Amino acid sequence: MTLQRELVVRGAPAAPRRSGALASLRSTLDLLTSLTASDLRSRYGRGPLLIVRWLAEPFALVGVYLVLMAVVLDRPGRAPGLSLACAIIPFQLVMLAVSNAMTAVSLRRPMITNMAFRRSLIPLSSVLTESASFVASFGIIVVMMAAYGVAPTPSVLWLPVVVAVTVALAAGFAYPASLFGLWFWELRPFGVSLVRILFFIGPGLVPLSQTSTRTSSYLRLNPLTGLFESFRDLFYYGRSPGAWNLLYPLGCAALLLAIFVPIYRRDQREFAKVVE
Amino acid sequence: MIEARSVGVRFLFDRHRRVVTSAAARLRRAGSETWGLRDLTLAIGAGSGVALLGPSGSGKTTLLRLIAGVYQPDAGTLAVRGSVASLLSIDAGLLPLLTGRENALHLGVLAGRSRAQSRASLESVKERSGLGEYFERPVSSYSQGMRARLGFAVADEGDPRVIVLDEVHEALDHQYRQVLEERAHALIADGGVVVAAGHDHPMLERLCDRALYLSRGQLRAEGSFRDVQAEYLAELEPAR
Repeated sequence: MTLQRELVVRGAPAAPRRSGALASLRSTLDLLTSLTASDLRSRYGRGPLLIVRWLAEPFALVGVYLVLMAVVLDRPGRAPGLSLACAIIPFQLVMLAVSNAMTAVSLRRPMITNMAFRRSLIPLSSVLTESASFVASFGIIVVMMAAYGVAPTPSVLWLPVVVAVTVALAAGFAYPASLFGLWFWELRPFGVSLVRILFFIGPGLVPLSQTSTRTSSYLRLNPLTGLFESFRDLFYYGRSPGAWNLLYPLGCAALLLAIFVPIYRRDQREFAKVVE
Repeated sequence: MIEARSVGVRFLFDRHRRVVTSAAARLRRAGSETWGLRDLTLAIGAGSGVALLGPSGSGKTTLLRLIAGVYQPDAGTLAVRGSVASLLSIDAGLLPLLTGRENALHLGVLAGRSRAQSRASLESVKERSGLGEYFERPVSSYSQGMRARLGFAVADEGDPRVIVLDEVHEALDHQYRQVLEERAHALIADGGVVVAAGHDHPMLERLCDRALYLSRGQLRAEGSFRDVQAEYLAELEPAR
């Protein structure tokens, strides 16, 4: 069960030889960039309306929940729009990455059935594709902070770390989501609903500090809780994120990747048979 | 350049007769299995043009995909030496919403070139595809022949040693068929390999001097194109 293949790449002899690891990293980044760029154009199209959509979507989502919390439920709280935005921004990345990953293999059917390439990068490219809207959605944080008169603090310097943990957790979810979308294609909508449930069994609508001690101890088991609270730590409370809030989602991401990347790598050998 | 020893490719089905992966087969209710290729042993040396003949479902596409690395053997061993350019479907790996240029850049990277190398070759791909201004338009606006042109121009840009074609060449117009034939003959003369499948036998004969006759996933005959074609057609005769 082996395939021996010597790949000769045209033009490569003229290029300076890099060390194996560096060349491999460069090749991985090129492939990831290409998969992401093609996915962005295929899924989202192009033009100014795309930017408008990315910028407006978080406002629409926050607006819906803000009406629910402030008007329908009449729930008290400081700067509820900012608190909601801090939960919705990381949630949207995880949610969209899962949704993207579930169809990522089947949407690439033309390539998968025509040529050999490193298909193990497909779920990562799903995360990067959705990271574009994730980055654009930070505009709502700025607007909400200005609207509620919340000044930024030096804790925002933690933002790259919090973003990295968010992306890692999205990647952790993307690999099983990609397999789930192939193995149980008829259950894809249910898979998306499962992730949506994580928002509501976490401190999405109200901060963890506004829940009871008993409830918050359960909510902390949800890996999204750490992300929501980390974003609130940076922008809402103006303090450094708690260690648990970063390490628990990171641990969950590592566990998911450790379990599902090897399964994915084994399974991808047969993707071309399935998507045909 | 291509050597297969007792190669087999297996397809697993769920109880609804949909193809599933091995892991999915364990999770979903048990179905059945079939072998697209079974116990196939062959050798294709340098400087060969080989046509695959056989009825639909005989394993031609499966063998081409195996050579291209799209499938991997479930049994036996396969060795392919040299870079492979594959054109295994009309859409040729092209994404319909991307322009010809964007697709060429993307497929070049998927084929193993760096983005810089792939970008540098775009004008060459544009010229060799003969698409002109259509190169800047979405592939969804292309005819099948235009897609095949672009697919071949991109695949050939990597200076492959092995070219595999699955009926795609049949979608090409006469002018571009000539281009493809000349390129195939040049590759074979240079010690490369062309493996092609299809039902346009005159075209296959112009590309290939040898042929393999596949039936139900197994090799029935191999030899000169004329001899193998005669055997294949003779076996078809009673069914007519």
